[in-house]
Amino acid sequence: MALYKSMLVAKTDLRMALKVSYVKYGLIGIAALGPIMMIAIVGFMVLADPLYAVFFLPSLSALMSPMLGMMAIMPAALISANALVGEREQNTLEPLLNTPLTDRELLMGKLLSSFIPSFGLLLGSILVTEIATIIILLSVGAPIVLVPGLPGLFLLLTAGPTMIIAIVSVMILISGKVKRVYEAYQTSGASILIFMIPMMLPIFTLEGSGAVDMNSVWVTNIITFLIALILAAVTWALAIRRFNRDTMISM
Amino acid sequence: MMVIQLDEVVISGLTKNFGDLCAVDHIELNVPKGSIYGLLGPNGAGKSTTIRLLCTLLKPNDGSATVGGFDIVESPVEVREITGVLPEEGNHTLYQTLSAYDNLDYFARLYDVPEDKISKRIEELLTFMDLWERKDDPAGELSTGNRQRLALCRALLHEPQVVLLDEPTAALDPVAAKRVRELILSLSEKYNQTFFVNSHNLAEVQRMCDRIAIIDEGKILLSGGTQELRQRLQATQNFRIRVVEKLEKAGSIAESMDFVSSVKREADSIIVTIDDPIGNNSTLMQSLLSQGVKIIEFAEEETTLEDLYLDVIKGGAK
Repeated sequence: MALYKSMLVAKTDLRMALKVSYVKYGLIGIAALGPIMMIAIVGFMVLADPLYAVFFLPSLSALMSPMLGMMAIMPAALISANALVGEREQNTLEPLLNTPLTDRELLMGKLLSSFIPSFGLLLGSILVTEIATIIILLSVGAPIVLVPGLPGLFLLLTAGPTMIIAIVSVMILISGKVKRVYEAYQTSGASILIFMIPMMLPIFTLEGSGAVDMNSVWVTNIITFLIALILAAVTWALAIRRFNRDTMISM
Repeated sequence: MMVIQLDEVVISGLTKNFGDLCAVDHIELNVPKGSIYGLLGPNGAGKSTTIRLLCTLLKPNDGSATVGGFDIVESPVEVREITGVLPEEGNHTLYQTLSAYDNLDYFARLYDVPEDKISKRIEELLTFMDLWERKDDPAGELSTGNRQRLALCRALLHEPQVVLLDEPTAALDPVAAKRVRELILSLSEKYNQTFFVNSHNLAEVQRMCDRIAIIDEGKILLSGGTQELRQRLQATQNFRIRVVEKLEKAGSIAESMDFVSSVKREADSIIVTIDDPIGNNSTLMQSLLSQGVKIIEFAEEETTLEDLYLDVIKGGAK
């Protein structure tokens, strides 16, 4: 029953968010941008020199995979900004708090409204990119290389959902301090910088051949996941404490 | 824990502070089951805060309250289950892009209205409020009055035991306001639902409520049954005295009397408020006649709760 009500809140929040043009088109754009960029680069490299592409794709994948992670965070920020700050902005929070929903059900609802579509978009992006890359490689008779590769998949499937939780938690914490949806979106969106770590650090391990050291990539991705995990745990714990009727109404 | 009692809402020493501001100051109220209780007061008196405390949106700093026998601090979910709330400016609290029907459908599910009864209940309420034809229109496209009625439907969806209404007719035209009052009266009678109505509209409270309390600066200044308060009003009485001439002289004579507490001058008459009117009214009339004032009319003015309200708010009477 508890999850049913949280899902109900999540469904309505998502529905409301999708009625806002910039959220709707933002989601479509963000969802499409990551895979399109990666597939375009893979396609260009494979068409230019299939052998070099096969050699270089793991490194490219290591540097580009975090981008898909970023793309997964942005919808979470957009939706949760609408679901939390938007609800206050439009005065719909009070009637919702008057219902028998518990604080926990409401909190879960707000989390799920961002988590489900964002994680869905992330999985979709990974799947589309992998399939498109395989098709491109097979079409020129080259051996199959996973893009994103294993380190990238590890990063996206661990740090990705963790960062979505962190984003929603940050949004809960700042929702009482900001007045407008876009302010909340911009503030929480700063968390996206976490994904700059795995995008930037491996560049310093570039070898003469142009490939990156895969051990460094793994270490960087694990560190990124741990940072995301700590951030999510701390902000979620604070959000649970902060998320109660009295503070939400008194703010 | 649920406590069985005759009063649906029992407030005891309830206090809420916002920083240094004491919005609700140790108030005591008992709302009998099935009654329509009006909480009257000027803006900023503490009416909305009282409702927010009763529907568990805010936690009190001191004191306690039970709704339907459930303590607002210990059993907030149970309180919310049996309570329907129309917030202040209810017409602004709807999901503007969702249809009228979808707004109600969402809340019916949150209030655990059984799945097989949701559509019937929504149709019943929307039809009663003359909104059924507009059920597919986004709430944001409805007029202010229609949105207010829709917000009221939302408060009544789950047939709550206690309905807390914050200025329910504030945004309504007279016809719609009358309809809402009739609805409240019929629901109270038919289902024995208890209504707690915040208002600064005295006429509305007078027409609808069987008990009232007057609140100002967070304190209950006066409370009781409407009839009881009317009787209290009879301790003083307004009289309209129309005179042919010597209006100013008539006013001065009235003012010189100990039992006259106020004199208001109009075009051809004076309105005097007489304490303990039986006997004193004839004394005044004789004084006026003996000093040459020609009286055309000496009639009782209908005293309303407004007189009491203004008197209480001005004087802070207990």
